[in-house]
Amino acid sequence: MMSGPLLLLGGIGLLAGIVFGRRRPRLWLVATVIGNASLIVAAALVLSGPDDWQWRNGFPIGGELLHFRLDGLSGLFLLLLGIVGAAGAIYAREYWSDEHHAESAPRGRAWWSAMILSMTTVLLSSNGLHFLIAWEVFAVSSFFLITLDRANREVRAAGWLYLACSHVGTLCLFGFFATLAARTGGWELGPMREQAGLAPLLWLALPGFALKAGLFPVHIWLPSAHANAPSHVSALMSGVAIKLGIYGLLRFSGWLPVPAALGPVVISVGAVTALLGIAFAFAQDDVKRLLAYCSVENVGIIFVGIGGGLLGMAHADAPWGRVLLAGALLHVWNHGLFKALLFLCAGSVLHATGTREMTRLGGLWRTMPWTASLFALGSVAISALPPLNGFVGEWLVYLGLFDASTSHGPAAWAAMPATLMLATAGALALATFLKAGAVIFLGVPRTRAAGHAHEGGRLMRGPMLALAALCVGTGLAPVLLWPAINRAVGVWNSSWVAGAPPAPLLTLGLVNLTLLAAFAAGSVWLWRKAHANGFRRGLTWDCGYAAPTPRMQYTGGSFAGIVTGWFAEILRPERVQQRPRGPFPSSARRIQRAPETVLERVIAPAAAGVLRVSSAARRLQHGRVQFYILYLTGGLTALAIIVWWGGIQ
Amino acid sequence: MTSILEFILRLAVWLLLAPALPGIINKVKAWVAGRQGPPMGQLYYDLARLWKKSVVMSTLASPAFIIGPAVAWIAVLVAAMFLPLGPVGGAPGFHGDVLLFIYLLAVARFCTTWAAMETGSAFEGMGSAREVSYAVLSEAALMTAVLSLGVQSGSVTLNEMLATSAGAGAVLLAAGLFTVLLAENSRVPFDDPNTHLELTMIHEAMVLDHSGPPLAVILHGASMKLMLFAVLLAEAVLPLGNMQPLMATFALIGAVLAVTIGVGLVESLLARFAFRRAPLLLTTAFLFCVFALLIAWKGGAA
Repeated sequence: MMSGPLLLLGGIGLLAGIVFGRRRPRLWLVATVIGNASLIVAAALVLSGPDDWQWRNGFPIGGELLHFRLDGLSGLFLLLLGIVGAAGAIYAREYWSDEHHAESAPRGRAWWSAMILSMTTVLLSSNGLHFLIAWEVFAVSSFFLITLDRANREVRAAGWLYLACSHVGTLCLFGFFATLAARTGGWELGPMREQAGLAPLLWLALPGFALKAGLFPVHIWLPSAHANAPSHVSALMSGVAIKLGIYGLLRFSGWLPVPAALGPVVISVGAVTALLGIAFAFAQDDVKRLLAYCSVENVGIIFVGIGGGLLGMAHADAPWGRVLLAGALLHVWNHGLFKALLFLCAGSVLHATGTREMTRLGGLWRTMPWTASLFALGSVAISALPPLNGFVGEWLVYLGLFDASTSHGPAAWAAMPATLMLATAGALALATFLKAGAVIFLGVPRTRAAGHAHEGGRLMRGPMLALAALCVGTGLAPVLLWPAINRAVGVWNSSWVAGAPPAPLLTLGLVNLTLLAAFAAGSVWLWRKAHANGFRRGLTWDCGYAAPTPRMQYTGGSFAGIVTGWFAEILRPERVQQRPRGPFPSSARRIQRAPETVLERVIAPAAAGVLRVSSAARRLQHGRVQFYILYLTGGLTALAIIVWWGGIQ
Repeated sequence: MTSILEFILRLAVWLLLAPALPGIINKVKAWVAGRQGPPMGQLYYDLARLWKKSVVMSTLASPAFIIGPAVAWIAVLVAAMFLPLGPVGGAPGFHGDVLLFIYLLAVARFCTTWAAMETGSAFEGMGSAREVSYAVLSEAALMTAVLSLGVQSGSVTLNEMLATSAGAGAVLLAAGLFTVLLAENSRVPFDDPNTHLELTMIHEAMVLDHSGPPLAVILHGASMKLMLFAVLLAEAVLPLGNMQPLMATFALIGAVLAVTIGVGLVESLLARFAFRRAPLLLTTAFLFCVFALLIAWKGGAA
């Protein structure tokens, strides 16, 4: 097998990246790209072949022997990691260049390689202790990447919030792995479905992995972290890092026995996450926050698929469970591609205009045609519209849900509500991305900064184009990716491994291809016809108004107004409004904000309460020795009384 | 050979007959109001006239302003081709094509609204915002309706789902789908196709800046979408698959006519709702479909 040497090469490349990152940017880029490329090839080899790759070594770290394993499931995630990692590295050379960020760019390069290396180790580790160590390094390196621009107060706040939430998750995982090790007698991980007593442990793993994945309501860290991180970091975090939470859940629900209630719980939490995530996204004005909330939605969709897979396994390995799990895995891959693409596009806009607020942008398609077209393509993909890849993944998820509903089993009671919520979320996703694309790129520039935008250079466009090409390719030929998906499905549940695609993927690919051809032909035909008939440009016909100003355009806030009203109970939009007064109004303003409700209304008050209690308790600790002796005496007396009482009994 | 012939026939039906439906609706409205009204073929004349006209495009608009209507038109046409048309047959279909059908309508919506936003006009912004917001409810209702058909027939292929009747929940399903038809095609009480230049409209507001062939394509696409929903409603409710081919054809034509006349009557007898009430009506439609789904579930399990 070639996978071992390739993974070694990948590790060496990334290590070299960490070393060279500070001083030698070119060497860093070469080393990181080579490292990522070897990861891609290694993962592709494992995914296309029948065998897993395993490697044990007698050299102990932390008292445990090294055990690495690359199978279908981790291979799929590793493939995605390699692609987004390489694309982001190339993009960062121009986006976060030494000229503009002299202080933070060298740090950023080293941490970038470190983060990819730690994520790779998480994916490869087959030992609980090493998994935890790699998980922690991964969390810390992403903290340093989020806070690259640490002079900014908001960035620091986002970083701390991320670190705190991440550690709450790690705490759960620590409990999970420690209990698992205590029950099985070792940190070694692997398939252990037959030990039925381990099933409740997954309830401990679920919150830990859900926190990393950004499931509602523990998504609170995600919007601010993804919005404030540099865009290539957001792409890696949204595209791959949150997927490691999904990987964790899949890994251990595939290895451990599954409690019966896990499937329905995962599917319902996923459906609620999808709906609320996209409702929050629609209300945002900051384009990167919008994308971040949309990641919450997509994680919800993936969880619906995973929950369906769990449910299907519980229903005597029903075929629809396989479809749902395959849909979830395909959506992991798809979302990694188009969300990375969209974040890179948002980064280009930020790079060119210096703002993430959509109300300050507009009309950028003229100055940034590449970014505009690629953002539009990403929007179509993420809104799950045919013929692109987003549709194929969501189609599988829907198909599984429909099959589960029509099978008339008890699973339908989970599948039917999930279908309806996904349908609503799907329509909202379309609205969200229409709003984002239209407000940023169409119409007239709303500010001078937007008017003077410029297209990113080749190093920024190249990775975006590559990601876009993968989106189109997956949409047109999903059947090419099927072996990889099937391999991962087979690792998760071996009784689903055999057989052809359960759904007509080949037909769907052909239909998508035909659709694309028809769309292109129709567009060319209408374009030619319009030009043949005579074609001229005129002012936008604003119902006869001859002097339109940029401020008269519809803004993102007004676009989302109707739906924000429907969800007002949950979104709690905040408005500051000062109406124009008098015959000569001097000032008027209106500021609208969609806050992170769970954080600001639930977590922050609760945290304030905890702080109050702990500061009250702190009064006990004041440094006076006499009182400490009193505490000791009191404690000892209390213990003595308890012991004496026990003796009488 | 026959399949190619059927394909061409179906294409012809959708392309040529669709513009007649708005004419019928206008005739009904004129009849109720005691007017003569425009001739039935008015839309055909309009389309022919627009097709020859030159195009004025906003200075702000990108090429997507013209690509949008073209893609939307093709998406609606392809979606329509998936529907079986009695003896002319339907597309071969595949497992799960019904979801492609729904998402093709979403493609059309995305492209129309994107093209509308190209102009930077507040009117177009308003129309697009309303279109995508109401679509949230109507798509949920449509998905529920389709799911109830799936549960009723035990299939996820459009041909088989529409061949049987909707069972005991047919009335509820018909009410729900009819409301969705009104909302999706911007008819009264959601929108008034007669008004122009008002702040209260949806579809017309989105196409204010289009002219010439692109506008013709938009209008033709809108009429196809109306026919698509009428055919879907008819086939969802009637068990056309169990009838004799000739009977089925007449039943389908009759049902589509009945739906069209129904739209005309609603338009004559009802006023457009205040925008705040439109979501309530759509939610009612959604609930109708949910009850139809529950009935289908109950019936199928028995």
